[in-house]
Amino acid sequence: MRFLLASVALLATQASAFVAPSRGSAAASASAPATSLDASRCGNYDYDVIIVGCGVGGHGAALHSRSQGLSTAIFSGGDVGGTCVNRGCVPSKALLAASGRVREMRAEDHLSEFGIKVEGEVTYDREGVARHAKQLANRVKGNLEGSLTALGVDIVEGRGVLVGGGGGAGAVEGVHEVKDETSGKVYTAKQDIILAPGSIPFVPPGVTVDEKTVYTSDGALELQSVPQWVAIIGSGYIGLEFSDVYTALGSEVTFIEALPNIMPTFDREIAKQAERLLIRDRPIDYRTGVFASEVTPGIPGVKPVTIKMIDAKTKEHVETLEVDAAMVATGRVPNTANMGLESVGIETSRGFVAVDSKMRVMTKHGEDGVVVPNVYCIGDANGKMMLAHAASAQGISAIENICGRTHEVNHDAIPAACFTHPEIAMVGPTEEQAIERAAKEGWTLGKSQGSFRANSKALAELEGNGMAKVLYNKESGKVVAVHIIGIHAADLIQECANAVAAGTTVQELSMMVHTHPTLCEVLDEAFKGAVGMAAH
Amino acid sequence: MKFIAGISSTTALICLLSWTDPNSASAFVPSSSSSSLSSSSSSFVGYARNDASVVVEPNARARRETSLNAEAIKITMPALSSTMKEGRVVTWLKSEGDEIEAGEAIMVVESDKADMDVEAFEDGYLAKILTQEGETAEVGAVVALVAALQGDIASIAEGGGGGDEPGGAAAASAPIAAEASPAATAAAGGGGGAAPDVEFSRLDMPALSSTMKEGKVVSWLKSEGDAVEAGEAIMVVESDKADMDVEAFEDGIIAAIITQEGEAAAVGSPVALIAANEADVPALKAYAAILAGGGGSPPPPPASAAAVAAPPAAKAAPKAAAASAASAGGRVVASPMAKAMADEMGIDISTVVGTGPDGRITASDVQNAAMSPPAGAAAKKPAAAKVPSWTPAAGVIAATPTARALAKKAKLDLATIAGTGEFGRVTADDVRMATGEMKPKKKSVVPGGGGPAPVELPEGLVPFTGMQRAVSNNMEKTLDCPVFRASREIEMDAFNELYQQVKPKGVTVSALLAKAVAKALEKHPIVNSSYRKEGTFFNKDINIAMAVAIDGGLITPVLKNANERGVLDLGEDWKGLVDKAKTGTLKPDEYNSGTFTISNMGMFGISQFDAILPSGQGGILAVAGTQEYIVPCKQAVLGMKKISKMTVTLTCDHRQIYGADAALFLKTFSEIMMSPKSLV
Repeated sequence: MRFLLASVALLATQASAFVAPSRGSAAASASAPATSLDASRCGNYDYDVIIVGCGVGGHGAALHSRSQGLSTAIFSGGDVGGTCVNRGCVPSKALLAASGRVREMRAEDHLSEFGIKVEGEVTYDREGVARHAKQLANRVKGNLEGSLTALGVDIVEGRGVLVGGGGGAGAVEGVHEVKDETSGKVYTAKQDIILAPGSIPFVPPGVTVDEKTVYTSDGALELQSVPQWVAIIGSGYIGLEFSDVYTALGSEVTFIEALPNIMPTFDREIAKQAERLLIRDRPIDYRTGVFASEVTPGIPGVKPVTIKMIDAKTKEHVETLEVDAAMVATGRVPNTANMGLESVGIETSRGFVAVDSKMRVMTKHGEDGVVVPNVYCIGDANGKMMLAHAASAQGISAIENICGRTHEVNHDAIPAACFTHPEIAMVGPTEEQAIERAAKEGWTLGKSQGSFRANSKALAELEGNGMAKVLYNKESGKVVAVHIIGIHAADLIQECANAVAAGTTVQELSMMVHTHPTLCEVLDEAFKGAVGMAAH
Repeated sequence: MKFIAGISSTTALICLLSWTDPNSASAFVPSSSSSSLSSSSSSFVGYARNDASVVVEPNARARRETSLNAEAIKITMPALSSTMKEGRVVTWLKSEGDEIEAGEAIMVVESDKADMDVEAFEDGYLAKILTQEGETAEVGAVVALVAALQGDIASIAEGGGGGDEPGGAAAASAPIAAEASPAATAAAGGGGGAAPDVEFSRLDMPALSSTMKEGKVVSWLKSEGDAVEAGEAIMVVESDKADMDVEAFEDGIIAAIITQEGEAAAVGSPVALIAANEADVPALKAYAAILAGGGGSPPPPPASAAAVAAPPAAKAAPKAAAASAASAGGRVVASPMAKAMADEMGIDISTVVGTGPDGRITASDVQNAAMSPPAGAAAKKPAAAKVPSWTPAAGVIAATPTARALAKKAKLDLATIAGTGEFGRVTADDVRMATGEMKPKKKSVVPGGGGPAPVELPEGLVPFTGMQRAVSNNMEKTLDCPVFRASREIEMDAFNELYQQVKPKGVTVSALLAKAVAKALEKHPIVNSSYRKEGTFFNKDINIAMAVAIDGGLITPVLKNANERGVLDLGEDWKGLVDKAKTGTLKPDEYNSGTFTISNMGMFGISQFDAILPSGQGGILAVAGTQEYIVPCKQAVLGMKKISKMTVTLTCDHRQIYGADAALFLKTFSEIMMSPKSLV
């Protein structure tokens, strides 16, 4: 599951704005003292690298750390696997896989086009579906833990808390100590500490969560019930994926979105298609521009969940809903409280830790921030891109920098996907952002489309709905962004992410051969279209 | 929304202006729709229209002008694929001088991808073929000339111009014009009077891709009467590439939907009318009905589109009438906001008391009404709801999203529908029940429940299939025939023993039965005869028909000359016939050439039955199941033994076959069955 706070986009831009000017000084201050510290601390440490947080980000950092021959410890805080594995991407895929099959097998019209008929009613066992999700999470968690121990990473059970030299002196001396909150033992890092504490669901004020009738994604993934009618507050990735699960299992859904548009974080054109494919043709309605100002849990069978909605602008009451359940999917906030950040002089903004482009922690957001030596922060806690694989990439990047090889993650080349049926996937900015960027940077934006309706494989699957949109720089030919909605979009985006990362041009891509007949040809059509060629 | 520019035919527009009232014509053309008005062609259309001849003028003066301009309609080589540069005319399906109708295939063109029929786009007469069969023409080149009027054929064929000899041609064509083109005249007349003098815009089928010829309206996101804003998605159109939302380009109210959901319309043809003012909706509805019929639409759509467009026209008309009647009856004055809100909240706006100027219902009136629902509705709800323990809070609409959407579409007040969902909420099924779309589940007769769920039984008329119809007709025919029946019990032990012996060789009961009956018929040809008015017709061949129940019907494949053939041969033949019967591939000769029929229900354990005699045959033998009996037997140890018996019943046509014939036949048959060695 991709966690995206409605405000993240805003935050990310703030972040990049302040990183740029401080980069020069930060780089200078980091490299010089590092060597001297190495010398002074020699022989008096527990590990080369200590990682706080054992989610996908911390895991990625730990694996790379070991591959570089660094002795490594990771603080799990009792949560090996973190949000992604235990309460996010992984179990939600299990729910989507199971519910997707139910949807497919109940779609009589669609099946009859294949010449298939399902006799009788397709049923499911809610507990069985929930168990599949739980078992998958446990298994992936076991694999993840196994890979850590196999590679010689020491897992510290407790939660890691930074120990400062006192009086917030971190900025001067660097931070090298982490305390196990459970045992009280203090571990020392020879080189660096990587913070990867992750995030927790955000619950807006006025919303009471009982995790039974009113729940966040944490509770939703347990699938304690399949409500007749569920309200989903927030129409980002999480909300959209759960609407897919719920409607497939027979629920009706009402989205409550605070912003004026449904699916506000998506490219508008994609959002419009998504609205048709994922909302309009399903038992879903929505309210936009309203806050769920007061959400009171219910008691199943006795009293419904009450949701009072107010206008986002005027704050006047507009409507009250009485539903069976409410899911709060209004984004996520960093899990950075009480981990000793203040004690080493790190100020957070709404919980987010400021980092530079090399993932080094800054004392604060904005131009006044300076690099805190030897401390890195990756993943959701820095708010740059709240995606599991982004966290992992940042972790690997941090290790590269720790090893003295300057590395910066190109966030424009990190793909993202929403695993609805059909899927939505993207890499790079939205068209709206790309237009702005092109105007600001003085290049011409080109746009080319491929369609699933014209794709043999998609037609064979009777899944002709969807489109792929390639945005590119007309002068250089380089791919700027790709947005796909359609069957298996999440698997199709990789080629595009690689192209963005490698700076491949549409001219080059248009000459690369795509397998026939595959869904990839949707992209082939778009690449060829960009250079005035016809694919079919 | 995109419009394809098409081939803008200026002449058509000018003509239009010349015979329509200038005011109404301008109403036609609010800037944005003017291009779509004249855009009739996508890249596939094989016509460059030269339009003076399209419009038949209703008065003499105008007609003379037309004739003066009587130019040819040009048929050009169409682009049948995006890569096609030139096309070869494979065949002309029409000859010079032939009358052609819009939508009729007139030539076959070979492109780089395939051979395709090219259809005429307008009615007329093929005046001159310029590209002969086998010749090639570039895309866009003129391959033939079409005259709108028969009288113009000669002049067009000669000079291609037609306007050279005004006097004679005009005089000659005048009566023919009136005769030959009543449709066009009607169209012109209708068009002239149709466009109402009100502010509206036309929503045309947009070209969503360069290759799109027509689009199917997948769904309307707005209903007639709904307010739309510029930029708002109002329908989903399926093109050859993708389903896409089509947005309104102006604010207004959807006055009339011309192309219904699931129907297709040609690119550029009108699919809906959007009124600027609500008061104009009835007038536009009437106009839409004319447009849907193709009458007032200046660019005639291709035949395929016209064909699908026709039915809605008929539908639209009564609807329009009903709508205007309703608005005349109890007109509700409410602000658009109030209406939208009432719709949203599922409140019947006619029940809301207006407090605005002149009693107009305002948004806050609707809100107040929602907060304090009318006493009737409040009293009704708890009584009807199955889950009465929960009373929704004030202002809460207890209905699921789908229920709301359905109720809105059906224009039902949710408050009048009893909810059966959680907390007494109205569900989609409740609404469907209220609209009659769904039937309530049959209540269990047994009170208290607890027993097994009631079986879902089919209900209502199911039309006969072709086979079922044939069976029922044949059965009715048999009522003219006087029949009698004779039954006999036959001991089956010997037969069963033989069957067990020959079964491994692949001999079947059906084959043995057919053979035994055929053998008996050999000795009693009268039972194999047919009744004729003149006398008894003896059939030379013994063809045994046997009834087979197949899915949804009954058929009687025939084993021909069964008396002369071996049982193995018969068995194999029979297997093939049954397979053919199941796949519906029996030839008539294989099921209607029987001279005698066997109906065997032995395998179902039937103890005795009689069959209806098929007309044209003399007899039918109903074969029941074998049953075991204990009979006295002096030789046996206990003085009794166990035997197997089967009852057969012969039905005969008494007009030529008598009781004794039947009795003797059954006796012979019984003997054969009791010493069956001769069968194999």
